[in-house]
Amino acid sequence: MTEFEKTDDSVVVIIGSGAGGGTVANELAKKGIKSVVLEAGKRLDSSDMENDEWTMFQKISWLDKRYSAGGWHGSVNHPNLPAWIVKGYGGSTVHWAGVALRFKEFEFKTRSTYGAVEGANVEDWPVSLEEMTPWYEKAEMKMGVTGKTTGMPHLPWNNGFRVLAEGCRRTGRTDYNSGPMAINSVENDDRPACQQIGFCMQGCAIGAKWSTMVTELPRAEDSGLSEIRTDAMALKIEHDASGKVTGVLYADAEGNQHLQKARVVCVAGNSIESPRLLLNSASEMFPDGLANSSGQVGKNYMCHTSTGIYAVMPEKVHMFRGTSVAGIVGDDVKHEPARGFNGGYYLEFLSLGLPFMGAFLEPGNTGWGRSFSRAMEQYDHMSGVWALGEDLAQEQNGVTLHGSEMDQHGLPVPIVAKTPHNNDHAMTAHMVESTSQIYESVGATDIYELPPYPASHNMGTNRMHADADKGVVNAYGQSHDIDNLFVSDGSQFTSSGACNPTLTIVALAIRQAEYIAQEMNAQNI
Amino acid sequence: MNIRFHRQKKSKQDHIGVSRRMFLMTTAMAGVTTSAMLGSATRSLAAPLDAGQDATLLRMVQDIYPHPELLEVSHYEGIAATVITNAEADVATAKDLRDGLARIDAQAEALFGTPYTEIADPDAREGVLRKFQHDGFFQGVRWTAYFAIYNNVDVWPLFGYQGSSVEYGGYIDRGFSDITFVPQGPTLEERMAAVKG
Repeated sequence: MTEFEKTDDSVVVIIGSGAGGGTVANELAKKGIKSVVLEAGKRLDSSDMENDEWTMFQKISWLDKRYSAGGWHGSVNHPNLPAWIVKGYGGSTVHWAGVALRFKEFEFKTRSTYGAVEGANVEDWPVSLEEMTPWYEKAEMKMGVTGKTTGMPHLPWNNGFRVLAEGCRRTGRTDYNSGPMAINSVENDDRPACQQIGFCMQGCAIGAKWSTMVTELPRAEDSGLSEIRTDAMALKIEHDASGKVTGVLYADAEGNQHLQKARVVCVAGNSIESPRLLLNSASEMFPDGLANSSGQVGKNYMCHTSTGIYAVMPEKVHMFRGTSVAGIVGDDVKHEPARGFNGGYYLEFLSLGLPFMGAFLEPGNTGWGRSFSRAMEQYDHMSGVWALGEDLAQEQNGVTLHGSEMDQHGLPVPIVAKTPHNNDHAMTAHMVESTSQIYESVGATDIYELPPYPASHNMGTNRMHADADKGVVNAYGQSHDIDNLFVSDGSQFTSSGACNPTLTIVALAIRQAEYIAQEMNAQNI
Repeated sequence: MNIRFHRQKKSKQDHIGVSRRMFLMTTAMAGVTTSAMLGSATRSLAAPLDAGQDATLLRMVQDIYPHPELLEVSHYEGIAATVITNAEADVATAKDLRDGLARIDAQAEALFGTPYTEIADPDAREGVLRKFQHDGFFQGVRWTAYFAIYNNVDVWPLFGYQGSSVEYGGYIDRGFSDITFVPQGPTLEERMAAVKG
């Protein structure tokens, strides 16, 4: 494996190895551009992936100290787990379920579509669906997304989704299918076809699911042009007197600090660590943190309006057999103000294993007793969804630094605040009602509504905006303030859309790599 | 958890005879619960608790996750023994547990004039416990029970959960799409046709 000198200031330093960082590294390598990826977690490969929920939670989750804050239930029930994301080689693409949906046109134009929303900070993206479409296609080809772009059929329907789909048919819905998924329905790109193992979110044990762990990172390394340095926790981005960034200070597994010089820095640590790093990089020249002249770094944190809904069916379902997210219902992804809320939502069939059902059916201190235990006894009769919809940006929701408590590296612990908007309450009620009607039409007896899980979709804390006063980065993820500093992850999202963010992160990363190459070649950065 | 349409079943006797299936399961039970159960005959509910508190703890564990038709009493005894083993290792934990169980009985006496274990109505017993659900000792017992029941591979089959599948080649040939009360999904040919053009 290639190793670059820490004094080599010709490399692009990429912080994070997930959907954004891993993709940028491989795309840059294809263009002959050298990179060093600093990954805070350890090296992982498919052989580490076990079919066990708690074992994998302990093995791959980001468990460094964090606080949940704000009005959502997690500030009580998940006080130190605001987000459910991965620390390791491949980042949260190890954990993602493989849903590969595109934003709708109106979701890029939320301010124009919704107008000003009281209590929210809704803005338009500086890119449109038309502009993004070719990049979505490249992302779908790269990831092997089932559907028309690749010609790969959607996956076969499992028990749990067949129940949901029949309910959709009976209630007059038309937009439901077992894709698009970045899970191979047929052998593709040196990866096998899905064996319906389940445990997609515990890491695919055979590599049928796309992740940077199995594709982008090893290929970037094999090119000889990228070094993935694991157990390397970025602490601070350094800059010179002109304000250009010059390198990244990081800590290795033993806590020893090193400075990796850089020509360009791409921040891709997910929507908590990315703004945290920019804030922790404050200097005399940038007292509010790097790239923060707008004051928007760490603000507008979005994580999807969501709820889990599980229906007890008259016969056994065994929902855990097969892909974890086995089907998607898109009928409600539309902006229809008469419903009483802005934006739309998806219903995605999602299986939980018995352990996680026991943990998330009623999280917190109250999840026990006779009703709870009866619900658990109905486990094998359940089918259910994770409903997820547009979460409006609010300035009050965001990432701040603890005033006194430091982590193992001596950095202030992040506080992640999330308070739902009234839009969320109205949308959630609609989600539950729609889902109940769907399952009731197939004979559901009991329906259980679960509060939101710790967020795996984290967005918005370094958002894009055409106007440098209203956003942190431009349409290419390049910071408005510092030309050679980029944001490459979901924190650059201006709005959350209704869909899972990964495909858009990858599409933006491919596009950003092209832009970085162009700007480097032109000697602009 | 909001329950939209919950049909309450009639209360059942919480102690129920040994099911053959559960007997086979418990003899195979792995890890901490096995050792705890084996030890429980001789070391049964010893040092950390005051006299009579072993029965209170056992009843409490059964009332936290009551599965009278799925689990037998010996399984709950194993969980109680694990709680005690953990308490033996730590003086403060033992005191919290002892004091907590005493408060449960005091609350039962205050409300019903009987010890907790002698309250016949399971909902009334749950009501007594709810008062203490945010206390550390309660949550310690609760999470011990959670892991011993819902994260126990030997108990999973009783709930119809099959767990790990990669070693069997996944569920692709093991019933991932075997239900008959709703229509089949589209065939491969139909799925292929749907993504063309």
